[in-house]
Amino acid sequence: MRQKFCGAWATYEYLDDTCEAIKELRRSGFEKITTHAPCPRHEIDHALGNPQSRVPFFTLAGAIIGFGMAILIIYQMSLSWILPVSGKPVVSVPIMGPIAFELSVLLAIFFTAGAILFFIVKDTLRYPVPRSRHYREYNRFMRDRFGIVVACAAPEVSEIESIMKKHQAEEVTCEK
Amino acid sequence: MSQISYGNINDRVVQSMEPPGRSWLVCMVLILGALSMGVFAWSYQIRHGLEYSGINQSIAWGVYITNFVFWIGIGHAGTLISAVLYLVRAPFRNSIYRASEAMTVFAVMTAGLFPIIHLGRAWFAYWLFPYPNQRELWVNFKSPLLWDVFAVSTYMSVSIAFFILGLIPDLAAVRDESKGAKRFFYKVTSLGFRGTNHQWLHYMRGYLLFAAIATPLVFSVHSIVSWDFAMSSVPGWHSTIFAPYFVSGAIFSGCAMVLTIMIPLRKAFPGFADIIQVKHLESMGKMIVFTSLIVTYSYAVEFFIAYYSGARFERALFWFRPFGEMKGFFWLMVCCNCIIPLALFVKRIRTSLPALFVISILVNVGMWLERFNIVGTSLAHEFVPFAWSSYQFEWVEIWITIGSFGWFFMWFFIFVKIMPSIAVAEMKEKLLPPFRKKR
Repeated sequence: MRQKFCGAWATYEYLDDTCEAIKELRRSGFEKITTHAPCPRHEIDHALGNPQSRVPFFTLAGAIIGFGMAILIIYQMSLSWILPVSGKPVVSVPIMGPIAFELSVLLAIFFTAGAILFFIVKDTLRYPVPRSRHYREYNRFMRDRFGIVVACAAPEVSEIESIMKKHQAEEVTCEK
Repeated sequence: MSQISYGNINDRVVQSMEPPGRSWLVCMVLILGALSMGVFAWSYQIRHGLEYSGINQSIAWGVYITNFVFWIGIGHAGTLISAVLYLVRAPFRNSIYRASEAMTVFAVMTAGLFPIIHLGRAWFAYWLFPYPNQRELWVNFKSPLLWDVFAVSTYMSVSIAFFILGLIPDLAAVRDESKGAKRFFYKVTSLGFRGTNHQWLHYMRGYLLFAAIATPLVFSVHSIVSWDFAMSSVPGWHSTIFAPYFVSGAIFSGCAMVLTIMIPLRKAFPGFADIIQVKHLESMGKMIVFTSLIVTYSYAVEFFIAYYSGARFERALFWFRPFGEMKGFFWLMVCCNCIIPLALFVKRIRTSLPALFVISILVNVGMWLERFNIVGTSLAHEFVPFAWSSYQFEWVEIWITIGSFGWFFMWFFIFVKIMPSIAVAEMKEKLLPPFRKKR
């Protein structure tokens, strides 16, 4: 169940204004910040304190599981029906290479895709965004505008609004 | 690039996705005509058997396996451009990688049809997969053909996943520019992407990992395809040079196909002229001439090793290729793959789009012939002289081959009308972002 949103959001035309506003909001103690950008920008990541993603751990887990699965499949199937091929061992280690590699890659990819979805959903639940129609239908974030959404307690909304306006926000909307 | 802004890129991409015009429809009719003939030819072959293809007792792998290797090779450039060039941050990649990725997916979809067509009894294709049947008779893991099943199916899955992942932010951009049913369609397909910092953070990290994982896959898939040949003892196939030779050949043909597709695409959508710049296509031309030199070197090494090894059958085969009854294919291949691409050393030719287009088509012809030379001539001239034979192309396999181009281009034409054929977010990433303070 998503939390009810209380806070403010603003749109910006310029990236430097956005980054300045983010930095000041963080200095003022606001940490539940969500930003919008039409493309990934390192400037925003730096302003937010360089958050790190844990997706690579899942990729590694996928690769290991895929590798193990391939060995298991080949081992079990080779012994289940003995197929003698020109004097080669029944369970041959070199022939495991290509299949182990392919399954490692395949599962690493699936785990990565799953991890991206999982972490995005997790963060979306952790950092609430407005549910208002105005926010949902604002359609320039993927075009040419930057945005900042800050969730806070009701008494703090006016402080956030003033910080956002101070950094040349185009439009500030408060939602309580 | 100076006229391009964040909003401007959205407009150009949305413009390319407007309802199709007359030229698109005319092309589509031709494509569907070719595809229908291909389907008819295949159904004729299913009804009457493989005797209606040119396959004979000696040359048991003919046009279909040639087509399989050819299309897998075409697919390579897409992953190379999207993954390898992403990791090395090649600046010419951004404008062309989306269409190249689409090309990869459709080329692998086309390639995947040929082992099934080649089987004759297509309905038994599932025998290739390891599944527990009544007698628990599992597949032979020692066969490179089975490695190929794993390699190609993994490559296809990864290519599709990579392609879809790259599309998500761009579909979100198109969604915000659309209305009505179209908006609903892009809303569903963009999975609620709105460009938040959390989304970009995990997305970009995941994308980087996809690229890192797909990079070895680019090299492994065609290496494994080459082992279909190299693991056998057939003269002309049993060679350790095959894996790098096939990979470079695949990149060579794939880059040529990228040009074959991108040059008309740029012409069809005038808004793309500033985005797909001549210098980007020129860079592809450089890659073609570089890989052409590698391929030429591989051809030379094959001949040298055949001579130097002293192996009689190997020598006989490498005499047969340029001077035997199938010599026409060989010399045409040499002309298209080794001589014509040398013209790309000249900057004027490299920057001329009509010249690049013509060269790219000739390279594709040459690379198809290369695969036919490997598959056909080696089997035509094996160890036992009484089994030596030649190859007669039959109408069924010719139409199936033409139909495969119809199948490939049908998907591509649909793609350019319903999906962004330029990577919107990545193009924006390369632009100077809007700053209030001058930098």
